[in-house]
Amino acid sequence: MTSPSPDPVDLRVHAQYRRDFTEEADVVVVGSGPGGAVVAKELTDAGVRVVLLEEGPPFTPADFEADGGISMARTMREGGLRTTRGTVMPTMQAIALGGGSLVNSAICVRSPEFVLDRWCADYDLERTARADLESHYDAVGEFIGISPTPDEVQGPRNLLFRDGCDVLGYESEPISRNVRGCRGSGECFTGCRSRAKQSMDITYVPAALRGGATVLTSVRVEGVLCEGSRATGVEGTVVEPLTGRATHRFRVNAKVVVLAAGCMATPVLLQKSGNLANGSGQVGENLRFHPGVAVMGIFPDEVNPRFGATQGMQSLQFVSQGFKLETLWAPPAIPAVRLPGSAMELKERLSLLPYAAIWDAIGSCNRSIGRVRPRRRGLDPVLSWRLQPDDVGILTSALLRLAEIFFAAGAHSVLPGVNGLAPEMRSLEEAQVLRTHPVRSTDLVVSGNHAFCTTRMHGDPTRGVVDESGRCHDLDNLYVADTGVFPECPSVNPMWTGMAIAHRTAGAIADRV
Amino acid sequence: MQGVILVVVAASLGGLILRAAARYPRPRQRYRRLLASEAAIVDAAAETFFPPGGQIQSSGADADAPAYLDRLLDVSQPRIRTLVRLLFFAVEHATLVFPAPGRGGFRRFTKLSAEQRMAVLDAFASSGLFARRLLFVSLRSLLTMAYLHHPPVQRDLGIEPWEIDTPVCEADLFYPPIGGLPGDIRFTRDDVTAPTDRGTPLDRAAGKSS
Ligand SMILES: Cc1cc2nc3c(=O)[nH]c(=O)nc-3n(C[C@H](O)[C@H](O)[C@H](O)COP(=O)(O)OP(=O)(O)OC[C@H]3O[C@@H](n4cnc5c(N)ncnc54)[C@H](O)[C@@H]3O)c2cc1C
Ligand code: SF4
Repeated sequence: MTSPSPDPVDLRVHAQYRRDFTEEADVVVVGSGPGGAVVAKELTDAGVRVVLLEEGPPFTPADFEADGGISMARTMREGGLRTTRGTVMPTMQAIALGGGSLVNSAICVRSPEFVLDRWCADYDLERTARADLESHYDAVGEFIGISPTPDEVQGPRNLLFRDGCDVLGYESEPISRNVRGCRGSGECFTGCRSRAKQSMDITYVPAALRGGATVLTSVRVEGVLCEGSRATGVEGTVVEPLTGRATHRFRVNAKVVVLAAGCMATPVLLQKSGNLANGSGQVGENLRFHPGVAVMGIFPDEVNPRFGATQGMQSLQFVSQGFKLETLWAPPAIPAVRLPGSAMELKERLSLLPYAAIWDAIGSCNRSIGRVRPRRRGLDPVLSWRLQPDDVGILTSALLRLAEIFFAAGAHSVLPGVNGLAPEMRSLEEAQVLRTHPVRSTDLVVSGNHAFCTTRMHGDPTRGVVDESGRCHDLDNLYVADTGVFPECPSVNPMWTGMAIAHRTAGAIADRV
Repeated sequence: MQGVILVVVAASLGGLILRAAARYPRPRQRYRRLLASEAAIVDAAAETFFPPGGQIQSSGADADAPAYLDRLLDVSQPRIRTLVRLLFFAVEHATLVFPAPGRGGFRRFTKLSAEQRMAVLDAFASSGLFARRLLFVSLRSLLTMAYLHHPPVQRDLGIEPWEIDTPVCEADLFYPPIGGLPGDIRFTRDDVTAPTDRGTPLDRAAGKSS
């Protein structure tokens, strides 16, 4: 293979920064995740001079690590060990070009009509019903190739879910994903070596680059600059990839600032910039998650779980009751850490991995509300959040449904992972204990990788941080374009909705610049 | 009453200082991050969680868990390293507060017999204290990751990473590997493959029907 001549695009990586620097832009976008990448590309297409800033580096396939633990330590903030306080729950946010889309399972679902109607009714929103967002969903969907997972890459662990749902008469469907040419490697979490997943770093960011945007990686924004009631840019530190070691300072002057640093980092940036845009007092408040719980099922025949789309099938049957069911896979060490027992018992359970499938549920836990606050030093957040008893009920019901589907699909046992209950249940009758047993929040193994609402959108400036176009109520030229703007849980996987709303925000900014 | 509490606390602190100063066997290799004491704790815990025998032949010691955890610590940020170190410390010295059953139950975790270690970990697992259960789950998670990283274990379980010929996409013309410069990009436009050409399911490519 011959050397250089990559196309002349303005992407900068850490090794290229030699000194402190200043850039000028019409619009500076902070964060290259699904929200920021869409805004950067759409504005570039509209002829706007954009500078996109990302703290993480680009990860090439040579940088991916198949090992779950090592990969997490490299691609996730706080090494993947970030947790909430109150109810202790791990929550992962990526630090990479492309943000969460680099490591997520590419699940794309439009938020149901009833959810968006409730957002409109309860948060004084006039243009956020499903019909209002449909064209934005479509534009994003077409660009990143969202389509249902074909059977040939489902693999048994996904198809068994469909079998179980069929037996019970539950609705199920192949998950629509932003992939092109998926090979069913089940390794979305550690980076798609097949280059099939259409994450932001291989879709929206290259498109923005081609259109003339400047993309600066390994730059950590530490503050929004303001003069009077206008934002004038951002400033921060150049950081070495993976270690975070500070090397230089930078500043970007811009007419419009867009914060898309994710719903944990954006409120911290606002708080650290003199409690900016917080006339409502809502910056960093209202933190919500879709806590996830999972059940492992053991089948009599080999399932060969390493083959198949990471998450290929779902059931939306219970979304109106507060939970969504899906199939799941991850690097084997990650499901394996859920196995109960130790010594020979643990080894025996591990030897069942080839016969195992894992299915999970995410809960619309709108009653469990937390907050994001900055630490005294650095930009990592302090997350306080408590899983409320009613929401524990939702998650326990979801566990029971998953057990039901496993047994209907022919599993001979399930491992629900609930403290205080038998680690392995061999029949649906045994699993019924989930109905009656008083499960506490600390009995569940939950994780919360879908997070939102910390800069929520509200029609009333005294009750929300941004308006429907993503513009901060308090600062005319400061926008937010990440999942922090959701007023409540979207009830299904958030990425597509976040991107649709960001697409609308880009349109609003383009109209004014 | 206050006096009694003070004496107990002082005795525990004294015990802790004496234990922390204790010597550990020389580790089997030089680690970048793990101390000799930490390597010993990891080895002892790994062998307790994954004893030899059974369907998966390798034991925790065969899997060389310290080497894996050393790498993990090496790629982790300082705060995480400190947390993991505190976890090892807590496991090693928890017997001061929750002694193992039998003679010498107050000894360090690494000094206990295999049965006593097992009993200590079991007590962690079934504790009514959430924090103690959390310690157990964290330790077991780290060691399970190390164990499953061991190629013979992966082979026994049929979970080896796929061999994948990574195709080249347009973005690969833009990004050098981490730490590199644009001059390190090895591809040209001629190397780029259309996305739809890449989709042979891996089970078929590997000649397996799953
Ligand atoms: C393991 C995992 C699996 C998931 N699976 C799915 C799924 O299948 N489908 C789905 O819909 N959702 C999924 N999600 C959630 C989804 O990925 C997120 O909701 C989505 O990425 C949020 O997009 P965002 O743009 O709001 O924020 P992010 O994706 O978090 O992007 C924010 C970006 O800003 C950067 N940044 C932060 N602070 C700064 C700073 N100070 N300076 C510069 N840059 C900064 C970050 O590094 C990051 O790249 C998953 C999440 C995880 C962790
Ligand atoms: S399942 Fe494998 S091939 Fe398919 S998108 Fe995920 S990582 Fe890529």
